[in-house]
Amino acid sequence: MEKTLQIKVENLSKFYQMGEVQVKALDDVSFEIYEGEFVVILGPSGSGKSTLLNIMGGMDLPTSGRVLIADEEITKYNDTKLTAYRRDKVGFVFQFYNLMANLTARENVELAAEICKDTMDIDEVMAEVDLSERKNHFPSQMSGGEQQRVAIARAVAKNPLLILCDEPTGALDFKTGILILALLRKINKKLNKTVVVITHNMAVGDMADRVIKMRSGKITEIKVNPEPIPPERIEW
Amino acid sequence: MKKLDLRLLRMIKASKGQFISVVVIIMVALSIFISFSTTAVNMRNGIDYYYEETKLSHIHVQLMRIPQSALDQIESIEGVTDVQGRVTFDVPLKTEDEEEKVRIRIISLPEGGGKVNRLYSDETLDEIAQGNAILIRQFAEARNITPGNIIQPYINGREHSLKVTGVASSSEFVYLMENEQTMMPAPEKFGVVYVTEEFAQSVYGYKGSYNELLIRVKDEDMIDDVSEELEERLDKYGVKRIIKREDQLSHKILSQELMGLDTMAAAIPILFLVVAGIIISIVLSRIVSNDRMSIGVLKALGYGNMDVLFHYLKYALFIGLTGSALGILIGLSLAGVLSELYAMFFEIPLLKVDIQYIYIIYSLILTSLFCIASGLMGARHVLGIMPADSMRPEPPKSGKHIFIEKITFIWSRLSFSWKMVIRNIVRMKRRFVFLVMGLAMAFAINTVPVFMWDSATGMFYIQFGQFQKMDYIIGLAKPMSEDVIYDIKGLMKDGKLEPRIEYPFEIRNGWKKMNASIIGVPRDTKFYEFRNEYDKEVTLPERGIFITEYMAKALNIKKGDHVRVKNFIPGKDDMDFQVKEIIKQYLGANAYMDIEHMRETLTEKNMITGVAASSKEDLKTKLEDAKNISSISSIDDMTKTFEEYIDIMLLSINIMMLFGGVLGFALIYNSTIISIAERRMELAALRVMGFDKKEIFWMLAKENSMITFIAILLGIPVGIGMIQSMADAFNTELYSLPIIITPRTFVMAGLSTILFAAIAQLAALKKIHNINFIDALKSRIS
Repeated sequence: MEKTLQIKVENLSKFYQMGEVQVKALDDVSFEIYEGEFVVILGPSGSGKSTLLNIMGGMDLPTSGRVLIADEEITKYNDTKLTAYRRDKVGFVFQFYNLMANLTARENVELAAEICKDTMDIDEVMAEVDLSERKNHFPSQMSGGEQQRVAIARAVAKNPLLILCDEPTGALDFKTGILILALLRKINKKLNKTVVVITHNMAVGDMADRVIKMRSGKITEIKVNPEPIPPERIEW
Repeated sequence: MKKLDLRLLRMIKASKGQFISVVVIIMVALSIFISFSTTAVNMRNGIDYYYEETKLSHIHVQLMRIPQSALDQIESIEGVTDVQGRVTFDVPLKTEDEEEKVRIRIISLPEGGGKVNRLYSDETLDEIAQGNAILIRQFAEARNITPGNIIQPYINGREHSLKVTGVASSSEFVYLMENEQTMMPAPEKFGVVYVTEEFAQSVYGYKGSYNELLIRVKDEDMIDDVSEELEERLDKYGVKRIIKREDQLSHKILSQELMGLDTMAAAIPILFLVVAGIIISIVLSRIVSNDRMSIGVLKALGYGNMDVLFHYLKYALFIGLTGSALGILIGLSLAGVLSELYAMFFEIPLLKVDIQYIYIIYSLILTSLFCIASGLMGARHVLGIMPADSMRPEPPKSGKHIFIEKITFIWSRLSFSWKMVIRNIVRMKRRFVFLVMGLAMAFAINTVPVFMWDSATGMFYIQFGQFQKMDYIIGLAKPMSEDVIYDIKGLMKDGKLEPRIEYPFEIRNGWKKMNASIIGVPRDTKFYEFRNEYDKEVTLPERGIFITEYMAKALNIKKGDHVRVKNFIPGKDDMDFQVKEIIKQYLGANAYMDIEHMRETLTEKNMITGVAASSKEDLKTKLEDAKNISSISSIDDMTKTFEEYIDIMLLSINIMMLFGGVLGFALIYNSTIISIAERRMELAALRVMGFDKKEIFWMLAKENSMITFIAILLGIPVGIGMIQSMADAFNTELYSLPIIITPRTFVMAGLSTILFAAIAQLAALKKIHNINFIDALKSRIS
């Protein structure tokens, strides 16, 4: 099967000025991601992976270089276009779930969906993340794993091109973490969504189609897994 | 409903107290705006319509005597449309209670009711027959006199019987007051009785002539020109006063009242909206900084800057609209109550209480503007929040050394909790400034009622205890020789008498002029005390004149200037006098002269128009039947009426205090709740370290008391400014408020401010109890 190029990152750099020192968060990074892939970006904290994800998600702008999403150069976008891009093309999943505390699970999902044009059926999505029973609960009434499932539903319901996950298991215990990864993998396969997960957990790399390893703002290795293992078999 | 809106509603529900406190302020602001404005407009409309329906005169002339036949030539003056003559005189009325003194003004009415100053009644008024009378409504109702009753006035020493055949209202007496010296209407003590021309003329000795003219002109712009012309043409008839519509007593008081209403309708709501705006912006900026991460998430989800900003602006707007809706509803119902209250003092039979939709629209626009502006002030930081940054934990607030720390002498002596208090205040500079400003305003509002009280009572007791020490002022039916004093003295057992002339003139300085009385009293008067602008006691000069502060201001006169006194007495010339002193006087605006000098220059030799008396006897009863006496005003009676009036005033003073209090409460309540929410972690840390809830409460209380203290200090000049503008606004020809500001003013206002601040602090107390310190230390989710 011919794979379609979906994300193209070219010579991407991001420098911060911290007082007198220039911090190179990203230093001339280039790679490609194909449609429907499950990609894991691995690296220790401070390696620049969050910055990379933020730029890919249209939440931040690079100092130089380009990011093309489905042939559109998002790094040239102005604020309005970036907002529209985040709205229609990307779904985010954060480490600390970041749900609206005063909205129920279902309402949190609707909050994201109601500003998009071509969304998925909310109840189907809730069923997909196995929260049909808990959908009228507030975040404070839910466990971390449940909250993260709401967050995933929130990202998926928008029917985005890609789902970007920033340490989605970082705040969860091992068992729950595996469940979340399995859910992400299921969505990736079933709905054919590109999923990018950043993590410092090396073990997670085993389940990915493509692994991008980073250190100090540079890519150290890009590995394509011919046979990724199912998340249930990952251990750390 | 949009999920974002749902979130907003739940947010509001979670912080009801804050929401309600601001809504209440806006509600109060708008109910005052709507009720005052609506009432003012309705009264103006009612009055205009009433004046036109009843053909109220544009010019009212009082003169010695004018023959009926001379009216034609007045009618020929350019611009004059109608002229009507009448005979008017004030007489005592016989009452069942011997002690009670009732005076009536008898006014003649031409056949058919005339063309000017027509009476108004819901029922058709029959023609007044000889020996019959129509009573003015306020008086008839106050004394419970109905058609068929007989009233018995004393006219020229003789008792007459008049049968009341009707009750009617007059646009000339919308506000029924005997004269400028009366402070407020007393409808059971003074009334107006309409009789036939023939009756009035014959009993008063005015056969074929009148002592008053009522004139209507084609166009109100012509009033001034026609008045000038009248002055000349009527000179030979002994003009006493030419009263233009704007100077007409009832109309003037009504206009002043309406102007006051306008000022209040504008000033109070603006003040309240400013405070509401301050609170909204403080609350919103707190919510936004608390919601930093949520805002980041919303932006990451694809909500644009404007979507998010509008989300928070809606909070402000929702407060504004809720407050407006309640305020408008309350305002509309209050407008009815207020109109009824005015109807107690002003008789406007054609008054309609209409809803003035334009003020509802103004209210909505005004509140929306205020709320959006303060919302933008509070929520604008939304724009600066980057989704990527907001996910990271917020860096700790920059803790800096503050300048006071450099003064080690003071700083080292402060306790730890005071150090925290001071650092917190300095850390939140902008909020601190806003809070202090708002509280200073609340404090200043509180100074106004205290001042009003001191000033009104001061005005009265200084005027009648210090400036005028007599017990009675007796007016004679007509100017007489001073010998009449001996007659009066003969009727009294003890006491002192002083001759007195009070006569109306026109006083001019260049083109500025004013109709006012000059009062002539002996130079060695025991009853009058004159104090100049610098509160120094001064004695009447042999030559020259004293004028009161209000008149000096109105005519732009300084000490040493000359004024021209235009004399209406036939055969007397106009004279110039030097102003020797500008003197203080709180009730009435007039001038004073040495009685001898006045007789030489302005009036007749040896003449008086009245006497001032001090006596322990009840002169009113004693002199009532005396011939030649037309009026006896007792300072004692005036004091009683004044004290009744003071009771009404007390109510409005309490209401104002409450207003100031509500503002202070809302400010402190909101800021304390915000302080607690903002510093949950800090406070929780203190709890973990072993501080108990009481100690934390006291720490916040210390912060609030420091803010309150500074606000009160700053509020003092603001209060003085407010008092000054209040005094200016209330300065009229009839009375001026003395600026009496004592430490008591500020102590009282301060106490009230502190009281409400303390209540607010206590109301916020339970939020401290609600801090679960373990949760607070862990939580990162808003």
